Amino acid sequence: MDIKKRYFELVKEGIERAYEKELGTIEEVAKLFSSCMRQGGVVQLFGVSHGEEFVNELNYRAGGIALFHGLKPKELVLKQMICPDVIDSGKIYEDREVADLFEQIYELDDRDMYCLVSAKGNEPLILEIAQRAKKKGQKVVAVVNKKTYDKYGGSLLDYCDAWLDMMADEPDTVLDVDGIKTSQISSTLANIIAQMLTAEVYRCFVSEGLEAPVLLSANIKGADVHNNSLTDPYGRRIR
Amino acid sequence: MIDAKRFKDELTGLLDQLYDSQKDKMEECAQTLKECFETGGVVHVFGSGHSVGLGIDIKGRVGSLVPIHIMEMSDFVSKGGVPVEVFMDRKDIFERKPGVAQKLYELYDIKHQDVFIVISNSGINGIVIDIADLAKKNGHKVIIITSMKHTLAEEPRHPSGKKLYEFGDIVIDNCGPHGDALLQTPSEAKVCSVSSICNNCIAQAIAARTIELMKEDGFDVPVLNGDEEHDAALRKKYEGRA
Repeated sequence: MDIKKRYFELVKEGIERAYEKELGTIEEVAKLFSSCMRQGGVVQLFGVSHGEEFVNELNYRAGGIALFHGLKPKELVLKQMICPDVIDSGKIYEDREVADLFEQIYELDDRDMYCLVSAKGNEPLILEIAQRAKKKGQKVVAVVNKKTYDKYGGSLLDYCDAWLDMMADEPDTVLDVDGIKTSQISSTLANIIAQMLTAEVYRCFVSEGLEAPVLLSANIKGADVHNNSLTDPYGRRIR
Repeated sequence: MIDAKRFKDELTGLLDQLYDSQKDKMEECAQTLKECFETGGVVHVFGSGHSVGLGIDIKGRVGSLVPIHIMEMSDFVSKGGVPVEVFMDRKDIFERKPGVAQKLYELYDIKHQDVFIVISNSGINGIVIDIADLAKKNGHKVIIITSMKHTLAEEPRHPSGKKLYEFGDIVIDNCGPHGDALLQTPSEAKVCSVSSICNNCIAQAIAARTIELMKEDGFDVPVLNGDEEHDAALRKKYEGRA
């Protein structure tokens, strides 16, 4: 089979597997998210390294739910609080005190909950964020790659109310080209899980008789007005 | 009704449509990238907003090709001297500005054999169009990834009156709907965007095929394999470029 086709087929198999194995948890997490949002909370997202793809998939996204907010290492660079090298080298994830910087630049609220994404689930920064949230009694959801998590001795799940698995192999390569292992699938599957979550959060709002706060693509005429009407009441908590 | 099952079913159909309609263009891209890498070239990936995810997905992990360079929007601030207030101004959205791309382009070490991949779902914003235009004027091959449904439904925002796809040597349609969200709700809104998923599939499929083509040529393929020494040497080879 054409190698390009093989990748597409592997993703399609992954979609089925994710649906079969994770639907129950996706529904559970969607309930946690929507209940937090209905009580004035925002779901704070943070992802380690490629986990940031999952964050971007939920945060201020066309066709997404408005009440998410991402903790973005890049914004710390823009505000000159850390150097770009600290992100490139991955050192940022080793530093628990970066959690203080996030608290300084963002308006975090006790009503918020956290959704934390890391294949390994063992980096000090993400554990710090989870621990701080738990101490305040906030809900924490994790997204890990369980095979990677087990290999690297993660402990993020100790602080979580629910967790989802990216279900990729460790290392994450699904194709072998004559001895070269290549083609990652974890982020694509994580994105698919993120969109299934979006559908289920929408369903939770509707089933309560509420209108779901859905964002429009910013590149559609008139979208800015609609989107601002959803986010403005939250001020700096969302954008 | 909107739920995870409906998303799963509609997405699966969309991926089939995407593969069937774009497979020849993806093949053409792999050929182009093969030639680029075999002559020491680097692929520069640029996408504003969520579109940059494609570059991130094919970079930096075991199994990733090394000569891939992501042109980061944040480089405008961290390397290009644009004040952070201007970059983050919500009233005058930076990614929509025409005429500022030159600054970003000049930050990088770009060689004649390099190829550009420019990604934008709507394909109407200033910066992506300017980058594609600059790359083309400088004689580089330009691959565009866009949503034809979205881009054809919107008015151009660029002073040239053109849209991104008009600058591509190869144009791949990610087959996403107008507005990016897949599922129609009973109201006006649609939910569940698909461009990141589709773009990742396109990029991974092209990367895998590129590796296969280079391997067929007997070329030493620059892919990270998790061996510290091997990977460090590869990174060193492309230092300052990727």
